Amino acid sequence: MTFTGFIGNICMFPLRAIIRLSVALRIHPNTLTFIGVLINSWAAYKLARGHFISAGFIMIVANIFDFIDGKVALETGEVSKFGGFWDSVIDRFSDIALFIGLIYLYSSLGRTDYVMVASFAMMFALMTSYTRARAESLIAKCKVGFMERPERIVLFMIGAFTNRMAAVLWVILVLAIFSVADRVILTYRILRDEERAATT
Amino acid sequence: MKRAPLPARMLWNAFFWTFERATWQYDVMVIAILAFVWLTPPDWIKDPMAHGSGPIGWLADHLKGK
Repeated sequence: MTFTGFIGNICMFPLRAIIRLSVALRIHPNTLTFIGVLINSWAAYKLARGHFISAGFIMIVANIFDFIDGKVALETGEVSKFGGFWDSVIDRFSDIALFIGLIYLYSSLGRTDYVMVASFAMMFALMTSYTRARAESLIAKCKVGFMERPERIVLFMIGAFTNRMAAVLWVILVLAIFSVADRVILTYRILRDEERAATT
Repeated sequence: MKRAPLPARMLWNAFFWTFERATWQYDVMVIAILAFVWLTPPDWIKDPMAHGSGPIGWLADHLKGK
């Protein structure tokens, strides 16, 4: 077993209990999704104030809600197309909220350089999601690129808990640029091959 | 890319990422990222919230005999 797989399995123990509790309480998955974005907004406020440790703890709670909504929907049989759409939309709000928190912080410190780093990281993080969504309206699957949402969230937490947010922003920025490029390249190749096959 | 030399293939595979989570390639990437985040001296990247030279700076100073 890989070490990331091992860590994932450990994290699943408490999450399974929370999923069971949510199912027992009959909490609607869409409600869980919405609670997640509200708590993430609180984490963004803490980031904006420079309270990284408390922001890290709040992000853990928020992302438990983000993670379990889909699992609860599966267990309660409440999987719906709207649920998937709602989840994607709310996830983007959560992403943007955290970046805005950091942009506000760096702006209040007069650090325009990191305002730009955080802004570009936000732009490419959003484009990572957009390129996949748009690509999958044209091709069957576009799951390439490293920097997806779970990676971003874990990196945010690591940055918050260890006060290394600047390094984390650089990693998110560079790998998000690569991820967007990967998705554009893959989509281009598949569509080009399809067009060639259609013309021969 | 299959005929390219190994280092070029490694670079291409790191850039054009197609590996799943919980694979050894994913683990290597995670270790590289964590090494960058934790070992890069905050002063090198002008971190607005953290200061100091970090483990690499400490090691460099130690080797210089400071």
